[in-house]
Amino acid sequence: MVCPVTLQVQGISKAYTSQRRLLAIDFSVREGELIAVVGHNGAGKSTLLKLLGGWLVPDGGEVQIDGIDQRNRRAIVRKVGFVPEVPNLFECFSVEYNLSLFARLFRAPSSSVETALREFSLLPYRRSKVRVLSKGLKQRVSIARSLLANPSLVLLDEPTSGLDFDMTTEVHELLKRIHASGKTILFTSHRPEEIKSLATRIMVLHQGALIFDGPPSEYFESDTHRNLYT
Amino acid sequence: MIRNVIIMTLHDLAIACQNKTLFLILFIPVFVFVALQLVDENEAVDPNIRIGLLEQGSYPPAMLTTLEAANATIVVTWQSNEAAAMQWLKEGHGDGVLIPHGTAAQHCALIVLEKTSLKTVTIVESINALQRALDGKSNYWIAEIHPVQESGLQRQMLPTWILMLVLMVGFIILPAQVAEEKEKRLLLGLLQTPIRETEWLLAKVSYGIILVVLAATLLHLLTAFDFSIARGLNYLAFLIAGGFCFSALGVCVGFLCRTQASARTLGVLFYLPLLLPSALADFSKPLHSVAPWVPSYQFYQPVKSILLQGGGVADFPLDILALLGAGIIALFLSYQLMRHRWLM
Repeated sequence: MVCPVTLQVQGISKAYTSQRRLLAIDFSVREGELIAVVGHNGAGKSTLLKLLGGWLVPDGGEVQIDGIDQRNRRAIVRKVGFVPEVPNLFECFSVEYNLSLFARLFRAPSSSVETALREFSLLPYRRSKVRVLSKGLKQRVSIARSLLANPSLVLLDEPTSGLDFDMTTEVHELLKRIHASGKTILFTSHRPEEIKSLATRIMVLHQGALIFDGPPSEYFESDTHRNLYT
Repeated sequence: MIRNVIIMTLHDLAIACQNKTLFLILFIPVFVFVALQLVDENEAVDPNIRIGLLEQGSYPPAMLTTLEAANATIVVTWQSNEAAAMQWLKEGHGDGVLIPHGTAAQHCALIVLEKTSLKTVTIVESINALQRALDGKSNYWIAEIHPVQESGLQRQMLPTWILMLVLMVGFIILPAQVAEEKEKRLLLGLLQTPIRETEWLLAKVSYGIILVVLAATLLHLLTAFDFSIARGLNYLAFLIAGGFCFSALGVCVGFLCRTQASARTLGVLFYLPLLLPSALADFSKPLHSVAPWVPSYQFYQPVKSILLQGGGVADFPLDILALLGAGIIALFLSYQLMRHRWLM
């Protein structure tokens, strides 16, 4: 059975300078895929995710998520959860406050905050200010917050960057759990072992262009992988 | 829409509690109150009295003779007309002006800068003493006392402090807060929710207005400033209009900066040029001619009139429109910058 398309990208582009830009790229993502976006620093991975998450305004192209045009921001935000590389939480407030604020803005029931705290094992930290949490815990809060509106697509920008082994393993488990719940995931990564263990599909960006798009088995046998990491 | 604006306004107030902004806002009225107390304590009274008389005025002849005889303590200056005498008084060259009162040339009205000052008491007591010495009567030549302004130095300084508060919220607090939300990607996080850009902007402006009204209320409570309801409402209208205008301008300044540090710098660059011409317009001719072109003057002048001369919103319709217009333009610019994720 072919799953329906969750994300449709046509000719999306963004230029910062002539050297640093994301060329017009096209791809589509089917429901339930877990895609790793890889590439060197400055290849355009974060730019792509920020464009899909609405953090950046594209210079051109179109994006549709679950059939909704990305320019319809207020509708699209319920379809996409974006977890940035550095958690953008209100550090002077508690974990519970951070989740409650977003739940109120999403008009999600207050029980959704309790559910998120429980599912992400954040109950012991509910009254802790975010600023005192470790990076791994902040990342957990950030992921929990992105799922409050129950989006169909989750974007994670280097979710394990700067985390130690235990925290990395924890985030991997979280991603597997979120994926198992039927959500479509796109994440960026520099770690081959992470890509190998998680991804069902790999997209490689190089100097702003999409140079590979296929399954992990094909990717790890390809010249693209060898050129990228040797 | 209102719900989201309220949620975000309360959120901003919670941040103000956390990052001590609220303490700053409440500290300033206390500081102003203490400063005003010190000003009053240091008020010195010159023993010599400078009285102005009108050249064409018909005064009680006995009073003129007595005043001339007392030239060691009372210096009489003749003024060509009432307007010139008022100007002379306001410029601080004299302590009071005696103007003929009624048609019988028996009484005078005493015009002073402030009714409840030591200087006024000295003038009245000195003239009454002269009259008692002449014919044994007192409280006869001076039939009425009129102050030019309702009160003294404390009240005269209030509009300047209020202007300072409003500009501080607008150009020191808000730009830094907006830039911080941009710098830490908090605003982008909020834009991942269904909140509209306009709701976020209105929440920021509401937060600015609340800070302004809160600080002004505390300042007036500390200085025991008595308001009639009508006058209070006129004053509140200008506080809200000024709070709206300068908060909107402050948000716009915040959007022009990438970091908190640059927002603070740019904020001060706006703050001082807006504060000084308006606050010092009464003391300098060049500043007086420049001030009307500065937006803060459209706030300062009406507030001064309402607090000191009994003016109202009806006397300053263009000023309130100018404040609201400037605020709306600033909000529109901020909206455009926000939509294009400017420097985010």
